[in-house]
Amino acid sequence: MDPRIEHLEHLTRRTFVGQAARGIGGLALGTMLLPDLLAKAGAGAGSRVGGLPGVPHFAPKAKRVVCLFQSGGLSHIDLFEDKPELRRLAGQDLPPSAKGTQRLTGMTSGQSRYPLQPSIAGGKLCGRQGAWISDLLPHIQTIADDICVIRSMNTEAINHDPAITYMNTGNQLPGYASIGAWASYGLGTENANLPAFIAMVSQGTGKNPGQPVFSRLWGSGFLPSSHQGVGLRPGANPVLYLNNPPTVDAAQRRALLDDLALLNDERARELGDPDTVARIKAYEMAFRMQTSVPELTNISGESPATLAAYGPEVTKPGSYAANCLLARRLLERNVRFVQLFHRGWDQHVSLGRQLPNQCRDIDQPTAALVKDLKARGLLEDTLVVFATEFGRTSFTQGGFGSPGAGRDHHGRCFSIWLAGGGIKAGHLHGATDDFGYNIAKDPVHLRDFHATLLHCLGIDHERLTYRFRGLNARLTGVEPAKVVKGVLA
Amino acid sequence: MVAACGLGDPVSYNRDVRPILSENCFSCHGFDEHGRKAKLRLDRREDAVAPREDGPAIAPGKLAGSLAWQRIISDDPDDLMPPPESHLALTPAQKDILRRWIEQGAPYEPHWAFVPPRLPAVPRGVAPNPVDAFVRHRLRAEGLSPSPEADRATLIRRVSLDLTGLAPTAEEVEAFVRDPDPDAYVRLVDRLLASPHHGERLALEWLDAARYADTNGYSIDGGRHLWLWRDWVIQAFNDNLPYDRFLVEQLAGDLLPGRTEAQLVATGFQRNNMVTHEGGTIPEENLANYNADRVRTLGEAVLGLTLACAQCHDHKYDPLSQRDYFRLFAYFNTLGDKGLDGDGGANAGPVAKLRTPLRAGDPERVRGRIAVLRALLATPDEALLAAWEREQRARLAERARGIQLHPVPLQRISTPNSGGGFSVEGNLLRGLGAAAYDVLGQTPRTDRPIAGIRLVFPASNFLLTAVDATADRVPSDQVNLHRLMRFSRVTASSWHPRHPAADVRAFDKHRGWSPAPEAKGEVHLTLTFERPITAETHPWLTTQVYFASRAAPEARLYVFTGDDDGTDLPDDILAILGKPAEARGPAERARLWEHVAAHADALRAARVDLANAEERLRALTEPHPTMVMAVSSQPRETFILERGDYSQPREKVAAGTPSFLPPLPEGSTADRLGLARWVTMPDNPLTARVAVNRAWKMLFGTGLVSTPADFGLQGALPSHPELLDWLAVDFVDSGWDHRRLLRLLVLSQTYRQSSRATPGLLERDPSNRLLARGPRFRLPAEFIRDHALKVSGLLVRDLGGPSVNPYSPFDLWREVSHYGSTPATAQTFVQDHGDKLYRRSLYTYWKRTAPPPNLAAFDAPNREVCAVDRPQTITPLQALVTLNDTQFAEAARALGGRVAARPGDDASRVRWAALETLGRPPTERESGVLLSALARERARYAADPARAAAALRVGDSAVRGEIPSGEQAAWMQVASLLLNLSETITRN
Repeated sequence: MDPRIEHLEHLTRRTFVGQAARGIGGLALGTMLLPDLLAKAGAGAGSRVGGLPGVPHFAPKAKRVVCLFQSGGLSHIDLFEDKPELRRLAGQDLPPSAKGTQRLTGMTSGQSRYPLQPSIAGGKLCGRQGAWISDLLPHIQTIADDICVIRSMNTEAINHDPAITYMNTGNQLPGYASIGAWASYGLGTENANLPAFIAMVSQGTGKNPGQPVFSRLWGSGFLPSSHQGVGLRPGANPVLYLNNPPTVDAAQRRALLDDLALLNDERARELGDPDTVARIKAYEMAFRMQTSVPELTNISGESPATLAAYGPEVTKPGSYAANCLLARRLLERNVRFVQLFHRGWDQHVSLGRQLPNQCRDIDQPTAALVKDLKARGLLEDTLVVFATEFGRTSFTQGGFGSPGAGRDHHGRCFSIWLAGGGIKAGHLHGATDDFGYNIAKDPVHLRDFHATLLHCLGIDHERLTYRFRGLNARLTGVEPAKVVKGVLA
Repeated sequence: MVAACGLGDPVSYNRDVRPILSENCFSCHGFDEHGRKAKLRLDRREDAVAPREDGPAIAPGKLAGSLAWQRIISDDPDDLMPPPESHLALTPAQKDILRRWIEQGAPYEPHWAFVPPRLPAVPRGVAPNPVDAFVRHRLRAEGLSPSPEADRATLIRRVSLDLTGLAPTAEEVEAFVRDPDPDAYVRLVDRLLASPHHGERLALEWLDAARYADTNGYSIDGGRHLWLWRDWVIQAFNDNLPYDRFLVEQLAGDLLPGRTEAQLVATGFQRNNMVTHEGGTIPEENLANYNADRVRTLGEAVLGLTLACAQCHDHKYDPLSQRDYFRLFAYFNTLGDKGLDGDGGANAGPVAKLRTPLRAGDPERVRGRIAVLRALLATPDEALLAAWEREQRARLAERARGIQLHPVPLQRISTPNSGGGFSVEGNLLRGLGAAAYDVLGQTPRTDRPIAGIRLVFPASNFLLTAVDATADRVPSDQVNLHRLMRFSRVTASSWHPRHPAADVRAFDKHRGWSPAPEAKGEVHLTLTFERPITAETHPWLTTQVYFASRAAPEARLYVFTGDDDGTDLPDDILAILGKPAEARGPAERARLWEHVAAHADALRAARVDLANAEERLRALTEPHPTMVMAVSSQPRETFILERGDYSQPREKVAAGTPSFLPPLPEGSTADRLGLARWVTMPDNPLTARVAVNRAWKMLFGTGLVSTPADFGLQGALPSHPELLDWLAVDFVDSGWDHRRLLRLLVLSQTYRQSSRATPGLLERDPSNRLLARGPRFRLPAEFIRDHALKVSGLLVRDLGGPSVNPYSPFDLWREVSHYGSTPATAQTFVQDHGDKLYRRSLYTYWKRTAPPPNLAAFDAPNREVCAVDRPQTITPLQALVTLNDTQFAEAARALGGRVAARPGDDASRVRWAALETLGRPPTERESGVLLSALARERARYAADPARAAAALRVGDSAVRGEIPSGEQAAWMQVASLLLNLSETITRN
């Protein structure tokens, strides 16, 4: 490779958005430094900033993604699977033929009995596809025609840390890049005033605190850290350090930044320093974020009908509902990847008490988000992902019938759903056995899910790679992965 | 890249051919037996040229007879190599290299890094310093010439930052610039190498590589104590401990004959891996992960090998088998660690209680400081006492004024880890145990604003760890971390002497409120809100009651209107206060002052300083827990794990080193000491090369090998192979003398060159791999913060000790943690005060799941795994940190104060400030910009003195009283401008 191009790409990779040397508001330095490269760098960039040349690899169906991650292990058995056999055999042990010999977590591996527990609430067949959805999710029942439920997801991981890391980075061990970071790396951003990847965390009421989440899940791993998800928080400081120190207002800050740009620019010319040019841009974006982020988080312009649709918690900063509304506002602004983490789905104990609360947190806002995106014409080219790290066992953890009983982790099969750009709406993919314990049809490994997600974004998962420790690392890792054609529109 | 070979030149296998084969062919036709296709190996000549059914893959000298070549140039997609579905494709230039290589007889060479380096001849007559000789020889061949030496101001800043992580002061810069001695630079280098901060600076890279942190990682991420190991590293660098001993003591200090305490501390190196005690995880799997991490770290930090690739299968590119991998694994598998361990803030075993190896601290000085502070607190200050008494009397006068209790109708109760046995009824919470309970209630309607909450308990020996509350418009089952109520006062009906009411806000599982042991009947705790609420504005109230250990079985919850009827004053103090001052006896006066000294707000800073000094003394003189290596009495056996899976053990293996590298030295033992001897034997081809490359990278921004963790076949080739080998051999021959190595490098003209880049040079060699100019790069995160602290005058230069928690913009720990649901520590962030706010950044508490955000913004790794190459990004979040972080805003304020306090006119002050921050005087134009900024800000604050005063209220440190607020605030803005200059955070 031409060393100059290589260097320019290097500069591009390390900046938050965009080419270091391109379009430096009013400053001609870049052109002076890297004369003939600019034409190449700028060619065909359109309104996009950053991203890799040649990516997307083909016409994308989705331009942006919102991932509603239900952290802790959502119970597919209670919420998305209707199993008459479980009702018939309630309280009896899971037959050894179904249980097999695979490992269980240390929480149930010592149990003497594995009594079957049917779903704790009723449900109904919904939508064209007739997906069974629990009555604990009455609002999600109403969007069945918009979603594609995959009931045959599977993972090898059976504990939270490896499982949630696997689902979000493609590897059970730390150190790998999250899905959103890959999207930012490959596709860049189309909004120069906001980061390409935003992450938000909410606490569930089913179990509080739920299993911890950690910055690794929206981290950049081996990718340059400029691609990591930026946390958006409720309250006065939605992005860390966004607010000026006491009494400094925008005009005063503007004056300081003008001086700063002047001094930086002069020095950069003197030394021939492209990094300083990139830094001038970064300061300008920081300044714009000080306006764009408060404007984003100010929901006073939302209609009462919209607010009502997301439910009463929408006005509670930091709630899942509030985050869903913010997600829509981010997607409207063309933010590439928005990810919510809702904690508290880890129902080892007290399933009957915790799960309804946990469902109430997310049911109405989730459905409202899908409907809202649809009403605004955004669902067409936005991929909505409703996911979790694993499912839960169809037998109880603890004694059958005890109010304290719950369900243990279960990676052999679990349910997620997709909606929007590129996805076959009103569809059902895959099936499990009579006990919701093993996959009976069309298994979808989480790698296949990753490949499919990237496919919707116009990315061939085998060709979005990053050189790391001698390997062309990719989200889907080294094992084979396939795009799940069956869920695509 | 820069080594492109011209037409007709002989092709070099290592330089030209192997990278092409490795990238495109070896993954299917290489070392990994399982992944191999068509039973064809191209990584060994004997296999590549071997006769096959349809002819050899490579026929030396004969293109037509080389099947591989025919496949490479094939038009048929079914025949083409690499196959189209691999998404690999050879460029015409690559094909040309392969063509010529085959024509030239397809010679192979062993991989350069796996052959021990031999001392290459230094190019003659080029330069006296061998580094310069190699670099200039190459430049000459490329038709380039080196840049002139950087000016002295640039040099002193560059070398000071590189060797100590701290920039020189304005005075040091000026003295150095003026120094007529031609040896001034050499003297400077020697002074810096002898600085105690040298060890801190060198520690940084090693802490990243060793994945040092203060928490266990994984999901619960509780606290651990391993700072003694960090301090050992600092001391080792300050002692210039030879690098071979540096490694031997860390890998096997416990096995050394007559090992010292410090050598045992050193073995914490391979205890820095993450550990977990998460319920449900499988101990065997955890242990396998821990050991895998140790092998990975050994590979990447010490050997420059991506060993981790061979955990699941033979390495695809390097000749490392899975068997080799597990033989290395076996060295660490004898440790008696447990698969579930490390809960409750206690270290995971094996542990030891040891004294700090650090000798930089001066216990006598600390004892002196403690004596002064104790004396200060022991000496009654009449004015302070009088003010305190006035305040207490005013408060007592309001005590119980109109107080009225209103029961809170409770609706729901929850706790994270238990399903039942507890309930609410009316305002009663029942069935409580050692856990955190959240209760949702309706705010009672009252005719006056609600001043706070009261919890009433039956008296017993409970310890209430913490209380939190949120009031909101919408009901919440749990308190909202983003809207926690702030309390102005906490009182109790009675308290245990060691557990006063206020400690429910200490957020420490060993602290909290406990009623007096003799209390009978009911006891209560009262918390007054900073801002009152009403049922109209805040109809819902959620309260969290947390017992970490000893619970009260039940409680009643009230809100109150009016003023708290409690007091934090003990009865005897109340009695003393009841008497006129002149009527108090000496004992009463002493008792009163004792109470004031322990509680008055006006003396808080002194108490914080005293507590910090006492902790410092303990850190320097007393034993502390640390994690160490040991050999278990029943060491585990090691098996090759199928696909790296702990549950699929196959063949049993003994400890041993990879077969493709030179064998263990004669007489080596099959334990970690044997491994350590092998790693550090002069014949080990990797260890010294990796070490000198790390030193080079630290000083030049990029290593001679740009992939510092990978010297294998997929790694980058060295930009200057002879130089790398010369340095490695010389390093070993010098007795692994690290300081000598650094001295040689920083004294070279190559290092001292100006970094100025002409457009021509930038175009020719943008990444500066040929070193025709000096190195320039952004400072590591830690030094950006350290620099701000230093120029502000706030930096506390103590070395070592327990990690500290300076400002954080939010409780980022509790947001992601298991707070209230685990005995693990480090689940909620509690900010430190006093000196601990201003320590160097390598002492900042490193929580792996939420690393310090102002450092993470500047690419500091999360320390979950070994990291040897931090990225260098440029992002707006970095701008927000240096503009707005309390730490940086306070530093700007303090720097502004320092500048404003200087004698002379504004121009000379601006000059000094630039010297102090940038290490050079400002140009006339820069001075003009800074002075006009100063004038603008002065005008702003002159018009609004209140704004000036408010602007200065940032951070804990005292504001200078002797300078007018407007003046300080204006200089604060100029200081912020200087601290945010690109040049300030760049080492040029």
